[in-house]
Parts: sequence; C-alpha cells; structure tokens
Amino acid sequence: MKTAVVIGAGHNGLTAAFYLARAGVKPIVLEARAEVGGGAVTSEIHPGFHCPALTHEVLLQQRLVREMDLTRHGFEVLRAPARVCSLSPAGHLLIDESSGQTRASITSFSGKDAEAFPAFHTSIQRAASVLASAFEYAPPPIDKPGATDLWNLLKTARAFRSLGRRDAHRLLRWGPMPVADLVHEWFEHELVRATIAAPALTGTMFGPRSAGSSLMLLMREAHRQLAGGNALRVKGGPGAATRALAAAARAAGADIRTSTPVERIVVRDNAVRAIEAAGQTLNADIVVSGADPKTTFLRLIDPSELSPDFAEKMQHYRAAGTVAKVNLALASLPDFGCGADALSGRIQIGPDLDYLERAFDHAKYGEFSAEPWLELTIPSIVDGSLAPAGAHVVSAYVHYAPRTLRADWTTARDVLLANVLNVLERYAPGVRSHVVAAQVVTPLDLERDYGLAGGHIFHGELTLDQLFTMRPLLGHARYATPVAGLYLCGAGTHPGGFLTGASGRLAANAVIAAEI
Amino acid sequence: MRYDAIIIGGGHNGLTAAAYLARVGRKVLVLERRHVLGGAAVTEEVFPGFRFSVCSYVVSLLRPEIIRELDLTRHGLEILPLDGTFTPMPNGDYLWRVNDHARTRREIARHSRIDAEAYDEYGRAMVAMGRFVKPILAMEPADPTSLSPSGLKQLLGLLRRFRQLPPRDQYNQVQLMTMSAVDFLDQWFETDVLKATMSASGIIGTFLGVRSPGTAYVLLHHYMGEIDGAFRSWGLARGGTGAISNAIADAARAAGVEIRTQAPVSRILVRGNRVDGVVLDNGDEIRGTVVASSVDPRLTFERLLDPDLLPDEFAEDIRRYKFRGSSAKVNLALDALPDFTALKGAGPHLRGAISISPSVDYMERAYDDAKYGRFSRRPYMDIVIPSLTDTSVAPPGKHVMSCFVQYAPYALKDGTWDEQREAFGDTVIDTLAEYAPNIRQIIRHRQVVTPLDLERDWSLSEGNIFQGELTLEQLFFLRPAPGWAQYRTPVDNLYMCGSATHPGGGIMGAPGRNAAMRILADRRT
Repeated sequence: MKTAVVIGAGHNGLTAAFYLARAGVKPIVLEARAEVGGGAVTSEIHPGFHCPALTHEVLLQQRLVREMDLTRHGFEVLRAPARVCSLSPAGHLLIDESSGQTRASITSFSGKDAEAFPAFHTSIQRAASVLASAFEYAPPPIDKPGATDLWNLLKTARAFRSLGRRDAHRLLRWGPMPVADLVHEWFEHELVRATIAAPALTGTMFGPRSAGSSLMLLMREAHRQLAGGNALRVKGGPGAATRALAAAARAAGADIRTSTPVERIVVRDNAVRAIEAAGQTLNADIVVSGADPKTTFLRLIDPSELSPDFAEKMQHYRAAGTVAKVNLALASLPDFGCGADALSGRIQIGPDLDYLERAFDHAKYGEFSAEPWLELTIPSIVDGSLAPAGAHVVSAYVHYAPRTLRADWTTARDVLLANVLNVLERYAPGVRSHVVAAQVVTPLDLERDYGLAGGHIFHGELTLDQLFTMRPLLGHARYATPVAGLYLCGAGTHPGGFLTGASGRLAANAVIAAEI
Repeated sequence: MRYDAIIIGGGHNGLTAAAYLARVGRKVLVLERRHVLGGAAVTEEVFPGFRFSVCSYVVSLLRPEIIRELDLTRHGLEILPLDGTFTPMPNGDYLWRVNDHARTRREIARHSRIDAEAYDEYGRAMVAMGRFVKPILAMEPADPTSLSPSGLKQLLGLLRRFRQLPPRDQYNQVQLMTMSAVDFLDQWFETDVLKATMSASGIIGTFLGVRSPGTAYVLLHHYMGEIDGAFRSWGLARGGTGAISNAIADAARAAGVEIRTQAPVSRILVRGNRVDGVVLDNGDEIRGTVVASSVDPRLTFERLLDPDLLPDEFAEDIRRYKFRGSSAKVNLALDALPDFTALKGAGPHLRGAISISPSVDYMERAYDDAKYGRFSRRPYMDIVIPSLTDTSVAPPGKHVMSCFVQYAPYALKDGTWDEQREAFGDTVIDTLAEYAPNIRQIIRHRQVVTPLDLERDWSLSEGNIFQGELTLEQLFFLRPAPGWAQYRTPVDNLYMCGSATHPGGGIMGAPGRNAAMRILADRRT
C-alpha cells in the first residue's frame, strides 16, 4: 500500500485526510503547531476567554458535515438571529433572518433601498448559485478535458442557462466589476452600499473601487450557499469545528501528529520520496500539502527540483496579506446602542464606501489607516461557553493591514490595536475600560506562527487571475503538481479561501483517482 | 427623397462607416453638428497660427485594413513617427525609451541590467499576445447567453485558438486580461519609473488606477502596432489628428457620401418600431432607411430618441452605462521649447512623448485624489510637441504642446469645471515647471479643455474620451449593453457605429467599419 502524508492539519488537510482514509489510504497528517486547525482555531486569549484566533466565519460545506458525520464528532451549530449589524454615526442598519425586520431597518435609511433589497438579494443568490455549481468539481484541464470535465462544465452551463438572459448578463457584467459600482446600481444610501459591499473586500487587496471585487461578493455568497445559507456559528468556535474534522479523520483511520513541523519534502527524479519532519524522515509515495503554494514549492522543496519556469511563476503568485486580527476579552458586552440579538451576527464598522476606500488607500503605500474598517463578531453572545458569565470575547478582522509595512510590525502592532480601540470607543463609548486582555495577530504573525507565506489568510489573492483554472497557476489547477506524487489541497487551490473544506475534498478525489 | 443610410456624427467612426456603405453603392448622408469634421479627432487653429489636435492627439490603432481599403494615403493621410517616450524624474535623472532597440536597452540598463534583459523578452511576449488579440478587434462579439450557433462557434473558435497558444503565452494572456498593469509589470521589471511609465497606458481615459485589476490589458495596445508591419501605427498625423478625419471624409466623398456640417440632429424619427430618418435642429426632416449613430449611447437613446420606445431593460442598461470622464487636455502655444532639467536642450527626446509618470506611487496618488472628486494635485501627463515633427502646425520658431492630463474627474466634489478651469491649468503648469522650469516664461497661450468642455462642445457624455469606460464589464459582448454588442439596437434599422461599441475608443476606426459590415449583412437578407 502507498504511504500518504498530509502536510498541515488545517480544515483542508483534515478533510483531505478523511477522504483518503475512507478510500483506504491511511494518511499521516503532520501539523507544525501543538493543536489541529491551522487558521481555524479557538484560543484562550485570557483565562476563561476563548476567541477565534484567526477566522471567525465557518462555512463548512453541508456535504462535508454530512459525509464526515461531524455531528457525531462534536460539531454543533448554534443559531444567531442577526446576519449583519452595520454601525454608523447615524445609527445602525440590521440585516437579519426576518425579511420584515430587515426591510424596516433599511427603510429607516432609505425606502427606495428597502424596495430594492429583496430583488438584489435574489439576483445575487441566483448568480452565486452558478459559481457554487463550479465549486463542486476540479477545474477542467484546458488542453484536453475528459468526459467528466465536460459533464461538469455542462452542469455549470445549464445552471447559467437557467438564470435566464437578464441574470446571466448580470453575472457576466458583475464578475469583473468594482463592488462600489455594483451597489451604486442598486442602492442610494451610503450605509446600505457599504454594508453590502464590505464582504467583497475581506482578505484581498481590494478597495470598493477595485475591479473584480464584485466577483468576491458572489464567491462568498456561493460558499455560504454550500454551507447551507449562512456562516455557521459553531459551539466552541472554529477550533471546535476543526477538532470535529480531526476526530472524523482519525475515526476513518488517519494518523494525526501535532507539534511535527515539516521541514522538507524530499524530491528525487521529479517524484516525492519522503518527508523530513521534526528531525525524522518519513518515506512517502504521496504527499498532499495543505500548506499554501508558495510555502510548499518555495520553502519545502529544493528549488533545483522544480523547472525554472514553474518556480518563476510560483514566485509571482500573489499572496501578500492584507488583514490583521484583534481579539479582545471584555468584562461586559460593548454598548453599541443595540441589543445582544442585533450583535449576534457580523458587526460591520465602515459606514460609507469612501471610508472603506480610504482605509484601503493607506495599504497601497505600505501603511495602515488610523480609521480601519472592522468586521467583528462577538461569538460569546450565542455561545456562553466562550467567556465567563457576563463577559465576552470580540473577534475583529482589521482592514487593511499590509504584510509589507514601511514601519516595522513588531512596533506597529500596538498602534494598530490603539486604532482599533479608538474606532470601537467611538461606537461603544467606555468599551476601552472593559478590555481585560487583547491579542493582536499581524500578517507577520500569520506568516511566522501559522506558516502562511506572505501572511495571506486565503493562501493567495482571490483575484480573477488566480481563480478556477488559474489557481494557483494555469495548467496546475487540478491539485496535482509538476512533481509526481505531490498534491496541493489548501486554499491556494480551487475553490480557494474561506473555511469550507472544499479544496481538501476535491484534492482527495484527485489523489484517489490518480493513485489508488 | 430617401437616403439608404444617415450617419449621425462626422467623427472618424461615423465617416468610416459612411465610406464603407457608400463604396458598395449605398446613398449615404453624414450629419455633423459642429462646423468641422472629425469629432474628437480634429485639428483647430485655436490661436492664430497655432493649430492643435485639440482632443485626441496621437494615432493609436488606426486599423491597417481601413487605411488600405479606403486608400487613405491617397486621400492625404501621412503618419509621422513619434519616436520614444521620455520620462523626467524629480531627482534629475530620466528614463528615455526610443524605437531604436539597442539604445533603449542601454538606457534601461542604466537603471537596471535585469530589466534591460527582461525588456526584450517582454516585447516578444507582448507581440505574441497582440497576435492573439488582434483578430478580436474585427470581430462582432456574439452574446454568450443566447447560445446561438454562430455565437457558440465564435466562442469555441476563441477557445481553440487559446488552446493552441504555447503554455507560456496562455499564462501571459490570462494575466493580461485580468490583472492590474502594475501587478503584471511587477513580474517583469524592478525599475519603478519604467513600470510607472509603462503602466500609464493602462489607465488612459479610464477612471481606474494603475493598481486596479483590468488595466493590464491595455498595455497590449502599444504593441499591436508592431504587428501591423511596416506601417507605423503609433505616431502623429501630418496636420494633426484632424487630418485623419479629413482623409477618411475625402475617401467617403469620393465614394459618393454627402456630408453636411453645422447640421445638428435633434431627433431620430421612428415609425412603428422602425427608424425612418432624423429631424435636424432647424426642423428639417430627412428620411433614411437606416440610421447609424456614432454619438454615444446616452445621447443616442436618451436625447435623440424617445426613451419610451425602448425596452425597459435596455433603457436601464443605457442608464447605468458608465462614462465618468477622467481626463483633460491642456494645449499650449509656446514661444520656445521647454528645457527639462533632467536632459537639457532641444534634443530628440522632445520629439517623442514626454511622460510625467515618475513613480508608481505618483500615479496611484494621482488616482486617489480623483476618487474623492478632485483633480490630481500632481497629475499624470502625456505630452507631445507636434510642431517639432510637423512644422505646418505652428509659426516658424514657435511650438504647440499638447498635454493629456489625468486625473480630471468629470464630477467634482467642490465647484464646477468652469470655476476650476484656471486652477486646474495652473496645477498642470506647476507640475510641468518642476521638470522644465522655463515653462512659465515660454507660454504664449493656454487652452484648457475640461471634461465639461468635452461634453458640451464635443458631445462626449461626462467627457469620456472613449464614449464610455473601457473596463471589462463594458467591453466585447457587453459594449455598450449586454445582448446589444452587434451594432444593432432595439429599434429596427437603427445602428450604433461609434466608440461605445466593440472594440471601443481611440482613433481606430474599427467600430465604424464593423458596424458598416453589420448593416450591409442585415440588408442583404
């Protein structure tokens, strides 16, 4: 039997390990850190306070939850009544599960926008469903697609056709469009525009006026659809979700070893031979890397084993991080002027498009804005297990925080935290005095502590030139690599980014089809 | 009396369409609002003795087949070389690229040896890319949602050609279609000023920054000319860009086209759902079987037509079609030549383009200003001094200098363009003075053409020089509206033939020619 090693016990690595194990290969999963989960972990930032260390948006595909029987392994989804609460000096906008309440909330800013919202939402959902269909299979090879590839493409073509001409045209137009233009076409109030546009900007070097950002909005929506409609609030945080994945993989026969950092993938005659990890050498016929493409090829493999052309393209793969994370332990719920229910989903601080754009401007010149736009969650509202009674944890994505700063991240981290607290204080006066502990995770930390090259949370920019048949590189988008026996299974492959497990499953399929 | 075709607008595209229709015996009338032909490809004596290419100033991509088929050389078209691009830098250094390859290499090597190597390779790659893209210019884009046999054939044909490219070219091609100019160039070069100057071609006429995805594609256009062989498609027309329009007009007249100037159209006549002719401002009604409008979609469908005649979805698409002009022109009549600190004297560096684009950040900051509704405090400029190459455009010893300036957003946050005109002109001169300190002393006259002027005097909505932004969502089968990229309109026998149709703006002539082919094909059946 072939020996398979999976590098990294992040959500994709664990998912791949599960499917490999189920197919009869009992993979060894090597994780550098002391716990499983990679970027999807819940950490105790202060005694009794558990916060999503990095990602706070769990979008595990429903089919994974089902096929891996995650519920049996401790995966429990909690209900959060709100979707988005968007704060502004003029009050907050609330989009929740109830269309009536959402309508009323939008109406308080613009009646016209409240009218437009349902049609917009439907149109986005329909367009996203076409993308979602393409998230379910490996990108076709461009030179000679096989029968399965053509069948898959036909399914997407059918989904596209079923949109009807109007929505089909919309999808084609929206793809390359700046999200600012998209929301301008539908809405008149700046808060409504910014609230809807912001999710398109997470994690990529996009401002609202950057072309291509609308596609990101559709992709995020497509991932939500495959996760059952919305981000999942998992009991115990994202760390609990990945622990369930690990339990499922172990139950299927995977051998997961933590605190075992991979130092080198040994390649000879263009084929993988072994893995060097924690001072030991493990023979391997198959290596499935959940690490990002740059780490896999430029750090773990001797460059002389790669063709210069491939190595050069990999150098150019764009993966410079743009997000920092601030995690806070708070003695009480911050007073944003709205109730706990309203704060149970995402909380957006970025009240107009120019605010978002200005935050972005700084990143272009290697700075971060004194007025960052923030995407927060307070997971302890629906999950009391995360913080002591009455106390809360706040998990904040801070945009934009470029990996390469003119200043030094080691000193700039305090400035970043101060900026975040200043903005929070403006919307929740007094919040500063309730901060029990604070954790700042910079892109540099993401690179050093989590092994993400460039500190990029999605293992590489989610831009048109790095998607689908081009993720990570044109001609290498089908999980196999130029090195025989080496596969990629991380977010640097289609369908990329977000805590979905999709890449892990599709990569495992590719390995099983080719090697077993 | 009834014409076979009435063309609205005597710009280069309208004239081209007219010439092609008349060549096969159609009776064609061209109606131009202004007293001169050419639209934005026009030469005017703005100040006595000084003749300016007031708007468009270089020949970009005039299709060689049009030059050939309409025999434009015989009709007086002469393209003079515009050799090189000179970029002065604030530190007193400069970058100077010329057509002489070896010399450019040496010059780039002065900044970076690696870049000098890469420059050759880059040129070769771009020529290969250009070969792939060029046939698309003459193509009538099919609507991929209709899945018609001809449309599918076109898409599959493109796909097949793409698959036949060597892998390296495939990789370059998808990057060009999707990336930002700077991201793309970052992969090839390390010299900031080189990247800044090259990236500038990606943003001309669009409201995007050099770091905005979708800007890389336009870099290709600079290399298309090389493929067209001996003919130099980048250059200056003798007599200014108006001479190009005049040559096309001459060819059109020779083919039998009737051309009227100072004949503004006020309305397009429609009977049933079929076009019937036009009404002029003076009330004259002129009957025509076909009407082809070379003016932009906003004017065509919202001003010349009763919008109620249009299907709601089409009307909505035209409403949201993006113009947002972002550039302006400053035309200077000079007593002497500017003297650049970086390279003194009246050397050959003044005969090409002079680019104020010292760094990528400079370009991006210029864009940042515009995003928030003000003109760039330090704008990007593309400058030519045509009088050095073509002495016919200025009195002896004097010069004309054409400054294309970006960003000058149509929608200003504070004030109007009429109020801001002089402040803007001053900004341009102040910027120039940082590189050529003698500029203030040598200016005899100054003409500032703002986006508002382009709208009012040249009928370009929101002052967009390309009749609508050249961004991916408004290109190919989406230009100007999804489902309506085949030069037809929802009104029978009404066609579009201007820059707002595929393949878009610039003195290219392709929209006019493609539209004429469509009209002729439709009438044959």
